[in-house]
This record gives sequence, C-alpha cells and structure tokens, in this order.
Amino acid sequence: MSPLLTIARREFRSYFDSPLAYVVICLSFLALGLMFFIYRGGFWQADKASLQAMFEYAPFGLSALVVPVVTMRLLAEERRSGTLEMLITLPVRDSDVILGKYLGALGLVLVLVVTTLIYPLAMFRFPWHLGPLDMGPVLSGYLGLVLFSAAATAIGLLISALTDSQAVAFFITFFVLVALWLIGFGADAAPGTVGTVLQYVSFQKHFEGFAKGLIDIRDVLFFLSVTVLALVVAFRALERRKWA
Amino acid sequence: MATDVMIAASGLTKRFGSVRALDKVSFEVQKGEVVGFLGPNGAGKSTTMRILTCFISPSAGTAKVRGHDVFEEPLAVRKSLGYLPQRAPLYTDMNVYEYLQFAASVRGLDDSTFRKRMKRVVEVCGLAQTLGKDIGTLSHGFRQRVGLGQALIHDPAILILDEPTSDLDPNEKAEVLKYIKEIGQDRTILLSTHNLSEVEEACARAIIISKGRVVADGPLDDIRAKTGAVRYIVTVDEKKTLKNGGAPKAAEVKAALEAIDGARTIRELPTDETAHKFEVGGDKAGDLRRELYGLMVAKGWILLELRREAQSLDAVFRDLTRSDERLDRGYAPDEDDDSDDDDATTAADDDDSDDDDSDDDDSDDDDSDDDDSDDDDSDDDDSDDDDSDDDDDDDDDGDKDKD
Repeated sequence: MSPLLTIARREFRSYFDSPLAYVVICLSFLALGLMFFIYRGGFWQADKASLQAMFEYAPFGLSALVVPVVTMRLLAEERRSGTLEMLITLPVRDSDVILGKYLGALGLVLVLVVTTLIYPLAMFRFPWHLGPLDMGPVLSGYLGLVLFSAAATAIGLLISALTDSQAVAFFITFFVLVALWLIGFGADAAPGTVGTVLQYVSFQKHFEGFAKGLIDIRDVLFFLSVTVLALVVAFRALERRKWA
Repeated sequence: MATDVMIAASGLTKRFGSVRALDKVSFEVQKGEVVGFLGPNGAGKSTTMRILTCFISPSAGTAKVRGHDVFEEPLAVRKSLGYLPQRAPLYTDMNVYEYLQFAASVRGLDDSTFRKRMKRVVEVCGLAQTLGKDIGTLSHGFRQRVGLGQALIHDPAILILDEPTSDLDPNEKAEVLKYIKEIGQDRTILLSTHNLSEVEEACARAIIISKGRVVADGPLDDIRAKTGAVRYIVTVDEKKTLKNGGAPKAAEVKAALEAIDGARTIRELPTDETAHKFEVGGDKAGDLRRELYGLMVAKGWILLELRREAQSLDAVFRDLTRSDERLDRGYAPDEDDDSDDDDATTAADDDDSDDDDSDDDDSDDDDSDDDDSDDDDSDDDDSDDDDSDDDDDDDDDGDKDKD
C-alpha cells in the first residue's frame, strides 16, 4: 500500500479508537433529526415528500460541528506532540502527509453524510412510505453535500496546519466555515458589488442549487477549486517548517 | 568521495530568525562507526539531526546521507536511515504492534518481510510482552524501545538517535545502551546525548558541538588528550586538624591550593563526607602530588584523599563548552575561574536577549575560538523550539544535569 493510503487509513481508524467519532456521529444525527422534524414545524408542516429541509440544515451542521471537530487535530495535534517529526522523517512526501490526512478526515465526514441516507430510505422506501419522493433533488443534494464536505474539510485541514493548538484550530475553523455559510444570507441584503462578491464566496449560495436539484457546473467547480486551493496552501504551510 | 562515508555534513548553517543555531558544522561518519554527538542543551544537536533526516532544511551548507543529498533526494535519504526523535513521539492511540506495522507499511515493507523483521526487532528491543499494549499506557522506557523498534524495522544501514536515553531510569538507560551496542555492531549510528558516560560506554568516537559549532571531533582518547591536562582530587577533613589552627574553611583550602605553582584550575566538588573536596587541574607533564601533600603537612590539615588522573571526558567536555556557559550566566569569558554563582543568572538573561539582536551579524568565526562566541548565545534553546516542537523545551529544562 502506498504511504498516502497507509496514512489515510491510520487517520481514519484513529477516529474510531477514541470516542470522538462516535460522539460526533451521534450528536449530528440527533441534531439533524430534531431540526428536520421539529424545528419550525419541520417536515410535517411542509406537507411535501421532499428532503429540501434536510439539505438546508445539514451543511450548517457540518460547518459548525462536524468538520471543525474532525479536522482540528489533524496536524495541530501531531505538531504539538511531536509525532509530526516522526511521521515526516519516514520516507513520505509532504504531499502524502497532507493528502493522506485529508482523505482520512474526509472519509469520516463522508461516512456521516452517507449514513444520513437512512432518513430518505426509511421514510420513503422501507419501512414507511410517506409519499412519492422525487429522487432527483435527493441525489443532487447528496452530490452537493459531498462537494461541500470536501471543501470544508480541506479548509479545516489548512487551519489545523497553521497552528499547534487543537482548540485554536477548532474555533477558527468553526468561525470561518460558519461565516462562509452565513454570508450567503447577507449577500441578498448587501448592495451592489459587495453583494455580488459575497454571493460568489458564500458556500450557502453555491449549495442552494444542489438542494433544489440543480447541478450547476459553476458550483461544482467552486467547491473543487476551494478544495484544491486549501490543500495546496496546507501543503505549503507544512513545508514551511523547513525554513522557519 | 569514498563510498564508506555514510553521513557527510559540510558547512551546515541554520538560522532561526536572528539566532544562529548551527554555524558551519562539518563532519563525516564512516560506515560501521558509532558516533556520539555531544553538546550542552541547545547546542544544535537536534537541529543537526533534523537536517540530516530532512525534517528541516539548512540555511546554508550541504549534507549527504549515503551519497544522497538531503535537499535533492529527501526520500532516498529517509529510506536509508532510521530515526528516533527526541522523547520518542509516538501515536499514543495505537498499540505497539499496530504502530510498527504502520511504520513498516509506510516504508513499503511487504508482509513477509515485515514479519521477519518484526521478530528480530522484538528480540533486540525486548518488546515481546508489550506488543498488544497501547503506546499511551507504556512507560517512557518502553516508548523509547518502541521508537527504537520503528527505527530498526526496515533494517537501515544508518541510525540517527536523538537522546535515546533521556528521561530513562538507570536500568532502562543501561538496557537501551546495551541495545545500541548490540545494534551498532553492523550499522552506522549517530547518537546524540549530553550524558558523557553513555558516550564512553557506547561510542568509539565523539563529536562535541557547542553553540552550533564543532569544538572537537575524533576518537574519545584523542579528545581526552586534547586539553593535555590531568586533574587531582584532593579531599581535606573539614572538622579536624593536626595543628591547633581550627577547622579549615573551604575558601581557605581553595586559596592555599591556588597558591600552588602549576595548579591551573581549582573547583570544589560535592561530597557526602564532612570534608572539602577539590578538583585541581594541572599540566600533564608535571606532578603536583608532592606539593599537595607538602601543603597539607605544612597546614596540618588531614588529607583524606589524593589522586591524580587523566582528565575525564566530562572535564574535557566542560572545558570545551564552558565559556559559552559562562556567557549564558552573564560572566565575561574567562579561562581560569570556574565558580558558579547562581545569583548572577537573572541579570544574565536580560543581557543575552539583547545580544542576540545586535551581534548576530558578525562575520562567522571558525570554531574552537570560545572567546568570540557571544554572537549567538543562550537563546539557542529557543531556536530549536521555533521549529514548533514543545518537547525540546521540557527536555532542556529537565536534563540540565550531567556536567
């Protein structure tokens, strides 16, 4: 197995060696369930066989809780405990370290995202049949969630690469991701150019389409570019140790 | 260059901001050598090792490991060596077996090779009982062993061990040293430490660095002979005298010893007895024992011990690195006196930080000239840390003994 995959696998497994993964998964499900069914009347009042509400809350949950928790320790903790030195002096490229850790973390986030499929399946296929669900928006919504997770996790990794404190990494990631989500709402209110810029940067604006069943290539490219950019910067941040 | 040169460093310089942690460090390590890399805390040992393992890059100079340049071919360099960083930082959430498997897998060992190597590593490092345990629950000694194990898992030709025995209890120390000797029979090992007895036990050659410069490099005997000095241990009873002059005071004895012609350095040594114990340094050529005895008789002091010995490696080490230490404590560089007044320490710290900024751009002096060493002083400790590892700091604090 290549060093990259070895690192990714170790990273992924290590989540399950601590209670972290379980706690995060359980809490997110609880939160998502409550939001979806109860908050502001939720699913029952909407009276539609649609999961659109879920796609409204899920990215926010990922931003505010899941991704910051999952990514905070990636590099910060290794740096603090010194294991980074051990890892990097193995015959691995810096890019293997970054990508391996990224894939490991993204793996956990995606496990979470994919398990939310239980909601639509249980509600509309088996055991309940609450109505004729239009699968199109559901699939595009999931595609959006995957892309969103990829970008958010990359940002989390980048921030973790810049500090050696998990707590700092958590709060900054939390703040950045939540901000990137919320400025979407401000974009409509903001005048002129500012509004346009906010609209371009906002994760929420770019995610909207997916939730409605609209796959816009610009949105896809947006999330992919953010991912690549964040990973490249994280790679540079890791290389910086050589010269600092 | 001969193929037998396993590690070749030439002109390595590393700056952390305005602090120069390494200053033109050059040395070579031949195949099959076990070399002790010695120096006080913050001298640049870890920095050098991190450069050799391609964890950080030098500001100037080159280093080659087995002919591979650390800058051009970091992967080839890392493949050919095993490295144990200071304090053996391991993933505490894995168990020992998983960890070794992880290291082997990253190094691209296939399953059957891994199992074969594993057997040997378990045997050499004594890990049989701990394989299934979480690393987080292991004592520091065992972590050190696991760290050694992961450095050995791919049967490397070169081992770089950064303070493999720090923080270990004496038993563990002895065992780790035993392993190193065992392993060193067919490998090249560069081993850093500030504990000199370890070097004497495990290495045939030592490189001593101080303030980022190599101050001595050669076989232990050569280094020992380098200062060409012998020392005398003189112990005087502090309660009784043969004459009625009252009990001798330490200062009195010291002054008397200083008055002896040929006594170069006088240092009081700690002792458990009710006695004053002094170390008197002298030239190799002469013999001061007669004078010393004569002095005792003349004063009527009771001589409990008098012996002459070739200068120990400890003393050589202290000689070579002392003036830097003096600077750290805020004294003017001085070759003769050796008293350590702790009172001066606080004031010294301030001085040091100032010096860093102003003097650092001095033209580089070649090594061995201790008097000029004020351009990069005490903050070298920090310079290691700038590289973001907290560990160094703790370690440096904890191990400031052994001199």
